[in-house]
Amino acid sequence: MKFKPPHDSAWGAIVCGLVLTAILFQIVRLLVKR
Amino acid sequence: MLGNPVLGALLRWVHFVAAIIWIGHNYVNVIHHPRYQPLTLDDLAQRSERFMVLLYREHAMFRYPSIVVWLTGVGMLWQRHWLSDAFALRGYQAVIGMGSWIGTIMVLNLWLIMWPHQKKVLGFVPASPEERIRCARITFLSARTNTVLSIPLLFFMGAAEHGLVLFR
Repeated sequence: MKFKPPHDSAWGAIVCGLVLTAILFQIVRLLVKR
Repeated sequence: MLGNPVLGALLRWVHFVAAIIWIGHNYVNVIHHPRYQPLTLDDLAQRSERFMVLLYREHAMFRYPSIVVWLTGVGMLWQRHWLSDAFALRGYQAVIGMGSWIGTIMVLNLWLIMWPHQKKVLGFVPASPEERIRCARITFLSARTNTVLSIPLLFFMGAAEHGLVLFR
């Protein structure tokens, strides 16, 4: 089966964006506290 | 108050307007194509010259605002003397800095990945039907990547001015 990235669908893109936001938020929080 | 407040307000105004034009166009694309549908040969039929002019104008209407968004964003950081701290992700400037990096990636994605392929898909430059169908997949993924990136970018942009408490 051919691989389809999750953001092939609109909802997939929104979920990817929210997960990415959560990950980057934690990274930036660590950077600010450094 | 850091920098010139009048200049800061004007830059912010232009930044918002251009950003809404750019990313609004991207969101309309998501509404039009919620799922990827491969192009068919029928989709590549010859269009009228007038339609091509309108299509070109429409595409220019979000490509060029992307540059305005980037320049006004950098301008706002520069006039506050935050530019180096933001891009180096130092201190509280890391919040807007993360937004700046994401925005920079989005502009590069638009101009260096999406546009060269989009030119072929839409018939602005000659390409074989097979090549146009192949490029359509790349432009879809490139545009959708910017949709994904816009979500954290808007969060960091807002949080840098109104939500620093989240990072304490």
